[in-house]
Amino acid sequence: MNKVLRLSLGHVVFIVAFIAIWEFASANRLLDPTFFGRPSGIAAYIWRGFVTERTLWNDLFYTVLAATIAFWAGSIAAVLVGLLFAMVPKLHKACEPYLTLLNAMPRIALAPLFLLWFGLGIGSKIAVAVSLTFFIVLSSTVAGIRGVNSDHLVLSRALGATPGQIFFKVTLPSAVPIIFSGLRLGLVYALLGVVGAELLAAEHGLGQVLAYLQSTFDMDGVMALLFLLALLGLSITFIMNWLERRLLVWQ
Amino acid sequence: MNDMAAARPSGAPVAAAAPAIELKDLTMRFGADGPSPVLAVDRVSFSLAPGEFVSLIGPSGCGKTTILNLLTGLLHETPEGKLEVLGKPPREGNPDIAYMLARDSLLPWRTALENAAYGMEIRGVPKQERETRALDLLKQVGLGDFADKYPKALSHGMRQRCALARTFALDSPVLLMDEPFGALDAQTKLTLEDVLMNLWSAHRKTVVFVTHDLAEAIALSDRVVVMSARPGRIIADVPIDLPRPRSVRKLQSDHRFHDLYAQLWGLLEQGTTGDE
Repeated sequence: MNKVLRLSLGHVVFIVAFIAIWEFASANRLLDPTFFGRPSGIAAYIWRGFVTERTLWNDLFYTVLAATIAFWAGSIAAVLVGLLFAMVPKLHKACEPYLTLLNAMPRIALAPLFLLWFGLGIGSKIAVAVSLTFFIVLSSTVAGIRGVNSDHLVLSRALGATPGQIFFKVTLPSAVPIIFSGLRLGLVYALLGVVGAELLAAEHGLGQVLAYLQSTFDMDGVMALLFLLALLGLSITFIMNWLERRLLVWQ
Repeated sequence: MNDMAAARPSGAPVAAAAPAIELKDLTMRFGADGPSPVLAVDRVSFSLAPGEFVSLIGPSGCGKTTILNLLTGLLHETPEGKLEVLGKPPREGNPDIAYMLARDSLLPWRTALENAAYGMEIRGVPKQERETRALDLLKQVGLGDFADKYPKALSHGMRQRCALARTFALDSPVLLMDEPFGALDAQTKLTLEDVLMNLWSAHRKTVVFVTHDLAEAIALSDRVVVMSARPGRIIADVPIDLPRPRSVRKLQSDHRFHDLYAQLWGLLEQGTTGDE
């Protein structure tokens, strides 16, 4: 416990020193705030955005909403398709080259197309995010199902298990940890897809705000947004870790 | 220990007439239709009376596991010759058979209790009954206090105990065991062999026990069937007339045990080196 305390104290000291040096350097023009922003300015921006003017709440809401919808839609579709592939290996084989091609493509490049199709609202960013999440979760689902322990299958067959019993009692639970790591990554990528699409064009969202701030050279705002996005990503990871510990106690 | 023996109808001795397992001129050729068939088992005949414990020993690849897999009906290729379990040809999922593999194959997402109940669950035993029986068996193998632990929290020996509980909880009259203690260290192995002997004395199943370990085969069995290197043939079928109940540990200092060991070792050597 003492060790943990000392370690976190070390982090606090480092961060405080880092911010102090940054602030000092900007104040004395050693670091140009036009390019790097300034900690006090960043803090002021966040304060305005969330407390006094409250404009950021709305954008945060849109970004989180889009990422959440994309995550659920993409993951559910991917797990279902993965299970279908497990049940019909021929279908998997037939689809594989196309999936590989789609997966190899930098999905963010689809954003202009989706913007045209779905407009500046929430639809286009969800589409971009789904295109990322879907493939990640699909490949982990397929890998998870393939990775089933053959001893478990032999034992179950010797016991007279039906294919349905084998699937629900052996294959699926054994795939859950790998599917879960895919889901964790899928959620991070859903956020990436949404913000990426918003950067290009959107009515609302943190990515859109970031693009606007950049174009008006508001570096305090840009830095604040980057900080917010990092925090958002971090909280996603925390939530997923917590969920994993709860769901996979046996690991 | 609870009185499991009283609750079980199949524990009663059966009239000596019908063998529990019978192999007659069993021959298995893998890839028989292909260009290069492999003769794995060559005219093997032996039978087990109900309640008999027979070990199958022989060098690696001599077809011991093939014979077990044939008995469980897990192989998709069919052998020549006769092969019967309780008077019926083998079929996959035969409820008369409980199969135990070399590795414990516990499902890691199930507790010890749920693992011990897994076989019964597949075979449709009602939840209440299977949990009672699983817990009882866990107690018999000395895992009563670990019923709610996941396999990752159990040692190798404990995991194999749990697999034993799962196997015996099925209450199938025939047990097929494929080197169940092969992966354990020597000490744990002796302990588990005693656990097996206790279970077997209480439940009296017909057991085919495949092993590499000569001492283990002698200590546990009524008979030891010695097989040659591939293609597997029977070299000898040696009765083990050591008195029961046996303690595997105590046998280590019994001279008859060592005589049998020497005798069987000679047979095994002959089978490994020679095309007669």
